[in-house]
Amino acid sequence: MPTSVTARSARLGRALSGPDRLAARTRRRQPGGRPGWTGRPSLAGRRVHETVMALPGVVLFAGLIGVPLVLMVVFSFTDWNGLSGQRLFNGVSNYATAFRDPTLLHAYLVSVIIAVIGAVLLDVAGLALALAVAGASRANFIYRTVLFYPFILSAVAVGFLWNALLGYSGAANSVLHVLGFAPVQFLGTPALALASVTLVSVWQLLGFSVVVMVAGLQAVPGELLDASRVDGATRFQTFRHVTLPMIAPTVTFNSVIVLVFLLRSYDIVVALTGGGPAGATETVAYKIINDGFSQGQLGYGSAQSVLLIVLTALVAFASIGLRRRGRHAGGVR
Amino acid sequence: MTAWRSRLTRHAVLIVLCAAMLVPAYLLIVNAFKPQAAILGSPFSLDARELSLRYLQAALTNPSFSLARAYVVSALVALISVTLVIVCCGPLAYLIARRDSPLYKILFYFFVAGTFIPSQAILIPVVYILRTIHLMNSVPGLLLYEAALFSPMTVFLYVGYIRSVPRELDEAASVDGASLVRTYWQVLFPLLKPATVTVIILNAVFSWNDFVDPLTILGPTSNNHTVTSAIYEAIGQYNTNYTAVFPDVLLAVAPAVIFFLFMQRRFISGLLAGATKG
Repeated sequence: MPTSVTARSARLGRALSGPDRLAARTRRRQPGGRPGWTGRPSLAGRRVHETVMALPGVVLFAGLIGVPLVLMVVFSFTDWNGLSGQRLFNGVSNYATAFRDPTLLHAYLVSVIIAVIGAVLLDVAGLALALAVAGASRANFIYRTVLFYPFILSAVAVGFLWNALLGYSGAANSVLHVLGFAPVQFLGTPALALASVTLVSVWQLLGFSVVVMVAGLQAVPGELLDASRVDGATRFQTFRHVTLPMIAPTVTFNSVIVLVFLLRSYDIVVALTGGGPAGATETVAYKIINDGFSQGQLGYGSAQSVLLIVLTALVAFASIGLRRRGRHAGGVR
Repeated sequence: MTAWRSRLTRHAVLIVLCAAMLVPAYLLIVNAFKPQAAILGSPFSLDARELSLRYLQAALTNPSFSLARAYVVSALVALISVTLVIVCCGPLAYLIARRDSPLYKILFYFFVAGTFIPSQAILIPVVYILRTIHLMNSVPGLLLYEAALFSPMTVFLYVGYIRSVPRELDEAASVDGASLVRTYWQVLFPLLKPATVTVIILNAVFSWNDFVDPLTILGPTSNNHTVTSAIYEAIGQYNTNYTAVFPDVLLAVAPAVIFFLFMQRRFISGLLAGATKG
């Protein structure tokens, strides 16, 4: 009757309180003390069970995340072009090419611009809006929902939608036309196209940052705010000297998440600008897919992947370091 | 008096801002029912005489990239990959949460580090591996990779949640002679329902919205497309046939939006749990 055994232990667990728990512990120290009970599974049996439980998850992760990471590093030192099965070791020449490839360096610049400007905008706008909608009222719930909905949309659909709105004959230009302005090439000039990619990404992630910041604000103890008010601080002083230090770790945390996310921008770029005009909005992830798959330079694409992961790790560690410092400076959490 | 005025200002600003956030959604919905001339001439207009279901119908029955079929593929991929990741990673998370051995500690660090790996970066070797095991250009290959991509977040969520469940529960079960496998699935797993719901919601939405992985793994030549890869193939780059763009985009995002409206609180609290447990 194995089922009843487990059902009973579930009940037992729920019912366990002081003396019972002590009894359970005593019982554990004296296994096999129960008449008619065959005892616990053997040590070897438990090992087998443990392996059976751990293995599928480890194999899934190792097989399609871990091994690919190792292969990526190996491929990055070869001249593999994907057509032939042949892969010749060519040392660091892919990396040397990468650092001399003006289109790749430009792609790094584009990715970093999108990530840094996007993160700053999301920190500032996210915090400002969170302060406005943090309360538990019905209206605030609706505001938060409206701000959040773009996050749920697929990024490639968002890209196509904004491409239709910002295109030369799109809705934005038809508004400008009605207002008597000349049409603007939102996606046709390099600077405006990059601004469009950045702002559309911010539009999509804004609700996420607001929700993160609201969670941070709700963790600030109300007594602190009351105390500061009683002491005669203005609302700005309360924000500057009480709220801000308390949620600094949340702001840093938001920065890390959106930086890491924006550094891998791909879907929005493909659908919104296709990397254009003339490669002006090609990001690192765009170059990896383009050079690796479309151009068949799998070795070179792998080297670019290694560099992207190194860059992501640097950004993450730098921000986590900042977060640690913020914590020493008196932040909670 | 001033408090009343500042509250009014706050609501006025927020309402204007929310309206601005909703403009793209309004244009998406309205223009999915309008002919090209009306979209170009007056994108904001809502004239009942212009509206037609024809364009949505055309998008659904597009012979080369059938969205109806893509819905089935996307739903299957989401369903099976989420099930797979729950079955594979839940028990592993249990061991990581309960065992003190350094092996599990190291494993946990690997999984945490995995959340920072961009999926595009390892796509080249993943394609190589899938080709080697003959799962390239196939739905099973895609859902295995999706499950692998979810595994770090799933382990992370489960470990955090299991640590909040009292040890006495599963210890009592093992005292009574239940095996580890049984203890996890019959005693612990029912108690992990909130974490499981979070895992399902987050992973289903991310799988539905994933783009470059299905596009690459299913391949352009195959008959199988997910919704995102189908609209990419159907719209293509620089497409200005807006009677195709708006209906395709609307059909691609509608299921996720409806799902979100029903599961909103759980989605957001789950997202925060996944993001802040670190």
